[in-house]
Amino acid sequence: MSQSTPQANGNDAAVETVTLTIDGREVTVPKGTTVLKAAESVGTEVPHYCFHEGLSSPAMCRLCLVEVEGAPKLQPSCVTQAQDGQVVRTQGDQALRQRRGVLEFYLVNHPLDCPICDQSGECHLQDYVHEEGRDHGRSREPKRVFGRDDFGGDVLFYGDRCVMCTRCVRFMNEVEQDPRLTVVERGNRSVIDTFFEEGLDGTHWSGNVVDICPVGALVSKDFLYKQRAWDLDHTPSICPSCSQGCNISLHTRDNLVQRLKPRKNLDVNGHWMCDHGRHRYEFMNRPDRLTEPLTGRGTARTPSSASRGWRAALTDVVDRARSLAEGGRGGRVMAVMSPNASNEDIGALVEVVDALGGGDVVYRMARADDEIVLKGYPSLARRRDLAANGHGAELLGATRVGDDDATGGLEAVADHDGIVIVLGDELDDQGEDFGRAAALYLYLGAHPSEAATHADAVLPTTTFAEQEGTFTNIQGRVQRFRQGLRAPGSARPAWLILGAVAAELSGRETAPTSAEEAFDALAGRTNALAGLTWDGLGSRGALVNETVPLAGD
Amino acid sequence: MGVQVKVIQRPEPGRTSYLRAALKGMALTFRHMVNPTKVTQQYPEEQTDLSPRWRGTHVMETHADGRPKCVACGLCPTVCPANCIRLVGGEDDNGNRYPIVYEIDEFRCIFCGMCQEVCPVEAIHVGQHFENAEYSRDRFVYDLDRLMEQDHPSTLLWDPSDPRSE
Amino acid sequence: MEPISGVPAVLAMLGKIVGIFTAVMIVVAYTTYAERRVSAWIQDRHGPNRVGPFGLLQPIADGIKNILKEETMPATANRFWFVLGPMLSIIPALVAIAVVPFAAPLPTPWGVVDMVVADVPIGVLWVLAIGSLGIYGIVISGWASNNKYAFLGALRASAQMVSYEVALGLALIATLMLAGNVTLTEMVWQQQQLDWWYAFPLSLAFILFVISAFAETNRLPFDMPEAESELVTGYHTEYSAMKFSMFFIAEYAHMMTASALMATLFLGGWDIPFATWDDAYYWQGQYISGFDEAGAPIAASLAAWKSLATYAVFSLKTAFFLFLYIWVRWTLPRFRYDQVMTLGWKVMLPVSLAYVMVVASTILVLDYLEIPYGFVFGLVLTVVSGLCTLGFLFFLDRDRVIAGAAVPHRLDRPVRMPDTRVPGPAIRGD
Repeated sequence: MSQSTPQANGNDAAVETVTLTIDGREVTVPKGTTVLKAAESVGTEVPHYCFHEGLSSPAMCRLCLVEVEGAPKLQPSCVTQAQDGQVVRTQGDQALRQRRGVLEFYLVNHPLDCPICDQSGECHLQDYVHEEGRDHGRSREPKRVFGRDDFGGDVLFYGDRCVMCTRCVRFMNEVEQDPRLTVVERGNRSVIDTFFEEGLDGTHWSGNVVDICPVGALVSKDFLYKQRAWDLDHTPSICPSCSQGCNISLHTRDNLVQRLKPRKNLDVNGHWMCDHGRHRYEFMNRPDRLTEPLTGRGTARTPSSASRGWRAALTDVVDRARSLAEGGRGGRVMAVMSPNASNEDIGALVEVVDALGGGDVVYRMARADDEIVLKGYPSLARRRDLAANGHGAELLGATRVGDDDATGGLEAVADHDGIVIVLGDELDDQGEDFGRAAALYLYLGAHPSEAATHADAVLPTTTFAEQEGTFTNIQGRVQRFRQGLRAPGSARPAWLILGAVAAELSGRETAPTSAEEAFDALAGRTNALAGLTWDGLGSRGALVNETVPLAGD
Repeated sequence: MGVQVKVIQRPEPGRTSYLRAALKGMALTFRHMVNPTKVTQQYPEEQTDLSPRWRGTHVMETHADGRPKCVACGLCPTVCPANCIRLVGGEDDNGNRYPIVYEIDEFRCIFCGMCQEVCPVEAIHVGQHFENAEYSRDRFVYDLDRLMEQDHPSTLLWDPSDPRSE
Repeated sequence: MEPISGVPAVLAMLGKIVGIFTAVMIVVAYTTYAERRVSAWIQDRHGPNRVGPFGLLQPIADGIKNILKEETMPATANRFWFVLGPMLSIIPALVAIAVVPFAAPLPTPWGVVDMVVADVPIGVLWVLAIGSLGIYGIVISGWASNNKYAFLGALRASAQMVSYEVALGLALIATLMLAGNVTLTEMVWQQQQLDWWYAFPLSLAFILFVISAFAETNRLPFDMPEAESELVTGYHTEYSAMKFSMFFIAEYAHMMTASALMATLFLGGWDIPFATWDDAYYWQGQYISGFDEAGAPIAASLAAWKSLATYAVFSLKTAFFLFLYIWVRWTLPRFRYDQVMTLGWKVMLPVSLAYVMVVASTILVLDYLEIPYGFVFGLVLTVVSGLCTLGFLFFLDRDRVIAGAAVPHRLDRPVRMPDTRVPGPAIRGD
């Protein structure tokens, strides 16, 4: 972690503070805060390139210069520490003139290729020049040209656009601690380069250099020319690819996830996310979906039964389940669930199982051989568990079965003659005979599966990107994710479906109608989540009662 | 040229007439009837002179080698108030950004010309042309090839010698 | 020369029926064409000029189009009356013209053929009776459409028809008194004998008749039943294709009948002006062209070319009125409905009634003075009628009948809007 950004820690009351004046407003900040961060706390953004919260500050871009009374020259606000009684003017004539000049220098060589640049729309050079730069350039010299360079991995380098902030170099040196990038040459011939032919190939965190590049010098090959930044909707979410629970944004357009970007949460992932998670988003865009609730087993299940809708389908399910339970033919319930189901989904499933007389809830989860730790931020790693909510499943009473590639372990379920419920697990390794012997077999899933052939009801659910909910990460931190995509057809969140079934079976009048109600009800009846509330989760999540310590914390 | 307002006084009571006025009107219409000067333009034979600022059917400009000038920057679909431009960008064999799909729905288009105004590479233009009748509706979605084939002159949205109207 | 009789007469009758029907349809078709061309010229346009030379095939194209177009039937319409309406409208329009003589008698080897389809003894009354039937078509179709605009149009049509039928009839009475007969053949003959077309000795009747005829045919400025700006298109709003076309034909056939009637009643019919060689009348078993001073009949010399010439003259006169219809339509704006009613009941009816008295008195006086039916007879009537006409026009012109909506001078005090403010709670300082 960077030494320049001490965190204001609420439970340490003894933090020393300083009070200074920024643009005529008094600001009180903890001692050691930089002027740039202090200004940010009152809503003034001082332009900056080389400074990044998660990195060291070399003060080399010369763009964050501000006037400090008493100082003979402009001071770089990213390294100047706030002092008691300091008077800072970020918008003084001197500072503005200076910054305008610096920006003009940047544009001497920066190409005006915004129309074909992927950064366009989220480019700091665009923003700063628009706000503070000159209307027209005065340079008549030809610009220097480097062309583009494949850095390996997912990273493409456009040398012409580089503003030499060296954030990428510092990221590789300080955070990933695998120094593969450096600045070569001098003066205006300076350019970022790799040492060897393999470039960034084989690194696990290099996607972050694309995120932190303030201009379009480093761009993602995956996203190259795909969409314009201003067209994307950003939805706060949680990365589903491992149990770390990195905070991410789903960048969506046309009801498709276009890319994933990390979202700052210093308790979980800082500013970063791994390449493993970053590139696993296509499954959210899968077009083969279940869209209508279907009842009837095998060939009896025709598209015409779809028109009966949810009410008929669920009434059917509840009637059959109740008559089985009353006749004592249900036996123990066997439930298989996906470790990517949200806490609310799992809670509703457990509730249904309990209402039907109890049984076993199992899940299967892929598991990698090693963790991939980000050396400069050791509490962040690509965890071994390659699913978002394995920890939540365990807390809510599910048991892991099967192998490390998420197969097998369902022999007892496949031939069970009681009630079988499948939630989200696609059962890729199971044949169409799965559940043939079951007295009642419910299949809840987003995608069609061969193993659902003998299901008495196929109920379409949303994927995590299409619903609200919470995941519990490896540490025991419960974090919210929000809905980024529209669900197809009549697909509904599993907590809504199973919540209604559970309410009907247990004779309750009301079932949860929002993820908030579902979570609060779940927290109210589950010891592991006791004391948590939906509102209390906030933007950084909240820890369950028994947490798992992480390295680096 | 300002708006001209002609104030017509209501005639004083008793000074109005119907028959005389009607006869005057008949005389007027008769004069017009026998007047050989007609204002109708015999359209298919006589073509209208379109203003150089006429905004009609789009034209996609091309490079000398036949490639479209468009770089798929996405500004025209962004600025389009009628949302009639569909653009999918991509990378061509030389690593250049180019439009894989570029479609304009001429039915949806309101011919405001903002696509031409916003285009950074002067690729898409509205044109001095209006005869785009077709026999089926789907023919009104012009794809990239069709836009490049248009050979009518493109619109001059501003005077080149005085681009800022100064 | 004897009138034709026997089988040739029947054949001649059939020939006249077919010929007149065909002629009417063609004239109607080309009146629509003329309407469009003339309106275009008046508006400095060209009008239809694409189909055939000068657009002359346009009516045929329109006809084909109307036959091929989709017939619509409103879901809530009364199907029986809806279909019947256009027929009731078009048949009287075509039948009425049967009694109008359109040329001098035509001599043939089998006898002389009267150039009129049916010289019925009731003459003009036939036209009035049949012409009034046309309104049934309009009222029935307006009601059967189950459309409020169509219904309003139908109501207006019937009200207007009733209002102006009276003035029309009274204007006719003057001519009947002067001619002493109701058959149109006799009318033509009497005008030839008077040396005056009735338009002059009965000038006020002529004017009243023209106005009423405009109203009866629902033409501008009296097109209340199909006032586009108020009633969509009035009674035929719901009609399409050939059924609409039948209304269209009926309107123009009405126009043509009215024009032919006006030409016959007031402009001497097929009489060629300033010439007596064309005069011919079947009188007491022979065709005569007049009487000598001793009162002996002069035999008429009939010839085919004379029939043709008189037919041409008749066509010209009719065409003049058709043109007048078109010309007026594209000049005058539509009256307001209350103005139509005011004009009909408060002006036309009393004036025509009074005029009948004036004409009757004058004729009585002239008869008493034993002035023979001839030029002087007509001259006196012309002077009397001319004075009446001048007075009528003077009266009509001065804003007394047709004026704008706001006529403050007639109320002799400023027009004030009624105070409709509701007393509200008192506001301080109010």
